[in-house]
Amino acid sequence: MILQTENLTKVYRVGKEEVPALRGVNFALDTGEFVVINGPSGSGKTTFLNLIACIDKPTSGEVYIEGQPTSQLSEGQLAELRKRKIGLVFQTFNLIPVLSAYENAEYPLILLGVGRKERYRRTMALLEEVGLKELAHRRPDELSGGQRQRVAIARALVTNPRLVLADEPTANLDSETGKQVMAIMRRLNEEHRVAFLVVTHDPVVTQYAQRTVKIRDGQLFDGSAKNGA
Amino acid sequence: MELKLLIPLRNLTRNRRRTLLSLAIIALGTAMIYAVRGYVDESMLSIRQGTVRQFGNLQIASPLLWAEKTENFGYLISPEDVARIVALLQEIPEVTAHTVQLNLSGLAITERKTKVVRATALEPQNQALDYNDLVVEGSGLNPDDRAKVLIGRALSEELQLQPGDFFSLTTTTVDGAYNVGPLQVAGIYALNNAVVEGQLVFMPLGYGQILLDTSGVAKVIVTLRSIDDTDRIAQIVQRKLTEAGLEFEVRTWVQLAEFYRQIKGFFDVLFGFLTIAVSVLVFFIVLQVLTLSFLERTREVGTIRAIGTKRYQVFLMFFMESVFLGVLGGLLGIAGGWLIGQGFNALGIGWTPPGAIEPVPVRLRLELGNALGPFLVGVFATLLSALYPAAHSARLNVVEALASK
Repeated sequence: MILQTENLTKVYRVGKEEVPALRGVNFALDTGEFVVINGPSGSGKTTFLNLIACIDKPTSGEVYIEGQPTSQLSEGQLAELRKRKIGLVFQTFNLIPVLSAYENAEYPLILLGVGRKERYRRTMALLEEVGLKELAHRRPDELSGGQRQRVAIARALVTNPRLVLADEPTANLDSETGKQVMAIMRRLNEEHRVAFLVVTHDPVVTQYAQRTVKIRDGQLFDGSAKNGA
Repeated sequence: MELKLLIPLRNLTRNRRRTLLSLAIIALGTAMIYAVRGYVDESMLSIRQGTVRQFGNLQIASPLLWAEKTENFGYLISPEDVARIVALLQEIPEVTAHTVQLNLSGLAITERKTKVVRATALEPQNQALDYNDLVVEGSGLNPDDRAKVLIGRALSEELQLQPGDFFSLTTTTVDGAYNVGPLQVAGIYALNNAVVEGQLVFMPLGYGQILLDTSGVAKVIVTLRSIDDTDRIAQIVQRKLTEAGLEFEVRTWVQLAEFYRQIKGFFDVLFGFLTIAVSVLVFFIVLQVLTLSFLERTREVGTIRAIGTKRYQVFLMFFMESVFLGVLGGLLGIAGGWLIGQGFNALGIGWTPPGAIEPVPVRLRLELGNALGPFLVGVFATLLSALYPAAHSARLNVVEALASK
């Protein structure tokens, strides 16, 4: 099992009021699985993703990455864990505008201290897999939305992570491009045996899932989710 | 390395107008400091050279003279002691020349006017300290001259004396007796200092000794191969004097020239104030520009932090950006300052300092040696201004940063 959450709760404080965003979520993701979490806006999807991406801390509960509890890890240890085990794909692509497509995809390997030749080999291989080898030198503002998202997918996968988390990866794409992006993610999931967890409000995305879990009001429903509610 | 170099360098091209503004501010500040440094250095060099020409590098005299206890002429150095001092000086290779002087004061009397004057009796055409090069009219003093004198331009105007004219100088001998001697003006000197020109006259040592009725001298003046040797050789000479049982004290030109110390202190304060003012200005302007620039990249910071970049790496990325900015701005400032200085020097603008008679050219001494300080000030002010925004960016909450527009 690559990911497991245990009674995960997140409560935001707005003024004097406490607003629960996640209510005791239990969830598990196996190696190589492709799971879509589907829910409306405000249902807690992004909060859930932030917690399992280890960029946010739960109010209570625990996130296990490959069996390792993360709540007691320091900022530096969490950064190290994200760098080595988790790939992230964002709704707005979030590429670094001053870097080329190649440099954006290569960036996580620099963080890992991989040598230049090996970086080149791995980055170009991934860019080829997402169909962007010829556009590697282009900067993000010279790429279409779909192309940018494919660079982001290459960046997420270049370190051979165990888990890729995607937050609304098709939200800023037209439906045709969105389908292409999802197809690429699904193919890479199969070829690399890396687990994908996609959160989306778009029901079309669920057709690419091996398993779909619904989220509403901070609680997970159906699929094989072990919901604490 | 890529994190520290590639991204910061690329970020400088992100908003070219803003980068150019920052560079212009840093360069302007650096150029201003460099130009003022060049003016101060040129002025101080000129004053230093003038001071050494006036005092020599070292002077050896009795502690009584240095303590200004001169009433009974107990400070005079006998010819025997002068010979012993000279023998000691000849052992030091850095000593290029030496001479002796005797000082007296008296009343200069012409048919029309009288004026209190100070006289320096010296060995004409000696190799150490000869004032003949200051003569602008008439001739200098010769070794076989006796009752001849060099007077300042201001004194010549005041007493209406020209080369060849005579006047009397009354004085008091070392025994307290009244003495008077006729003097012929050999030449008129100019020092571009109204006070000195109006008071000080130069005469041959022999004639000064006649007027004071003494065979002694007031001090031995020493010149050195290099001005930088002054303090070191002063210590050596003092040690040799003490070992030889000669109770005389060495003074350096810096110790003797109170004017030099005052003006150096003034320039140091002025330059320090300007440096601080310019640094503060550069600091706040660049701080504002960098803060804005870094804030615009909040979501980017969230992204790179989310994919595993550590806080210190984010800090370094931003900080290195300011290093490049500071170094580039500093270099541009030095180049700009140098160009401005060359233009300024070519214009030959002059001004008349307080106490001077003629305008002196305002020149800027712009060399690599005095460029380092202004360059470092420019770089340091920039780095300082980057510290807070870089630290702030590094500490951003990842989730909030990702959510920012």
